[in-house]
Amino acid sequence: MMRLTGGLLLVGLALGAVPVSAGDGVPLPTPARGKGTQCVEPTDTMRRYHMDYLLHQRDETVHRGIRGTKYALKDCVECHATPDPRPEVRALTLYGFCKECHDYAAVSIDCFGCHTPVSASSEGGSQ
Amino acid sequence: MSLLTVLYVLLFYAAAVIFVVGLGRKIWQFATVPAPLKIPTTPAPTTRGGVALRIAREVALFESLFKSNRWIWVFAVLFHAGLLLVVVRHLRYFTEPVWGVVTLAQPFGIYGGMAMVVGLLGLWARRAVVDRVRYISSPSDHLMLALLVAIGATGLGMKYVLHTDIVQIKAFTLGLLYFDWRPLPGDPLLLLHLGLVALLMIVFPFSKLLHAPGVFFSPSRNMVDNPRETRHVAPWAAPLDAARDR
Ligand code: HEC
Ligand code: HEC
Ligand code: HEC
Repeated sequence: MMRLTGGLLLVGLALGAVPVSAGDGVPLPTPARGKGTQCVEPTDTMRRYHMDYLLHQRDETVHRGIRGTKYALKDCVECHATPDPRPEVRALTLYGFCKECHDYAAVSIDCFGCHTPVSASSEGGSQ
Repeated sequence: MSLLTVLYVLLFYAAAVIFVVGLGRKIWQFATVPAPLKIPTTPAPTTRGGVALRIAREVALFESLFKSNRWIWVFAVLFHAGLLLVVVRHLRYFTEPVWGVVTLAQPFGIYGGMAMVVGLLGLWARRAVVDRVRYISSPSDHLMLALLVAIGATGLGMKYVLHTDIVQIKAFTLGLLYFDWRPLPGDPLLLLHLGLVALLMIVFPFSKLLHAPGVFFSPSRNMVDNPRETRHVAPWAAPLDAARDR
């Protein structure tokens, strides 16, 4: 009932399209914690700016040939690979980690069409 | 919970109540105010279906503006169509799981944001540059444009310059809907953006933006051109009419 009222209150905000789904409390993404003690930048900064680091690093590599800095995608894989969410894939990959937030935020990325999301430390993993 | 979060939670509930109640009152007033005369702007449709179509064209395509001033029409369409895409993009903050179309529309929402600001700046330039429009522009005309430009600019600023924590802000908005409040990230651009949006919701029912619901109630648009077929008598005038006929 409370939730329904909340939905009604904000009807204007969402232009009449407030979907009030079942379940208790606000749903939140839960990306698995990376390996090691901390990320390549403070966690708060990573949450806000990881896309800029990755895309900037990509331009540096592709246009200027600079490789092996701390924002390399294959380093993300080493710390953030988790068992792949698809049951037929038996490897540690980045999919689960990145997807966790990206589904929540309606972000679609095509990076893994070219880059491998598979961790070298998993069976059959290749670079 | 931080003071900041509490403040914004309260601000948004208050703004939502003022918006919904204020707008409801206004729509009620528009719907019940007498329209004593038959005054459709001719040429006008002679059937109710035709009138529905005319209003649909007016709302979706800004037909009468197109006929009267092409430049204003271009900027008006840029702004309104952009706003529509932006609203669709923002639905990602209110839905979990996010609807498929909303995910597909994400990139277009960004272009919508740009179009919106360009349209607003065009409309604003008109108020400064065109003599006869400058003469009739009141402070509220400028302030309204300034408010909308500022909302668009802070939004684009977050997309391109100073990012915020999108996951946390979505949790905050869902929290408002669920009555399960979540902390608001303290990024300055975000606070400004949300503050301005709340302000927009608050002034909306008292501002010229009422043209949005108002267009549906405009007698010169929503009347059927049939004064010869049926005599037009406003409900409040019917008793007087009957008395005179006796
Ligand atoms: C040395 C291992 C390591 C590397 C390399 C690394 N991370 Fe992390 N990352 C972590 C850890 C540990 C955390 C969790 C820190 C915490 O909980 O405060 C984290 C957190 C994050 C978060 C925030 C997750 C959350 O819970 O909100 C993001 C996003 C992220 N990393 C992205 C990346 C990206 C993108 C790369 C590649 C450029 C990368 N990380 C490389 C270890 C790493
Ligand atoms: C803490 C949640 C979180 C995690 C974990 C995360 N992302 Fe993101 N990512 C986001 C959000 C939120 C955005 C969108 C920001 C926006 O809409 O402006 C984003 C955007 C991006 C973008 C830009 C997409 C675009 O089209 O602009 C890239 C690239 C990206 N993320 C890569 C990654 C990769 C690779 C990983 C996994 C290593 C990852 N992210 C993990 C939250 C996350
Ligand atoms: C069309 C294929 C393709 C796609 C799609 C693609 N990349 Fe790349 N990327 C490359 C190639 C090729 C290189 C250059 C590798 C090299 O020469 O070392 C590269 C390099 C990079 C690098 C620097 C190399 C490193 O790891 O240090 C980063 C970071 C990167 N890409 C991130 C991304 C992200 C993030 C996305 C998704 C938004 C993405 N790429 C999508 C092909 C692609």
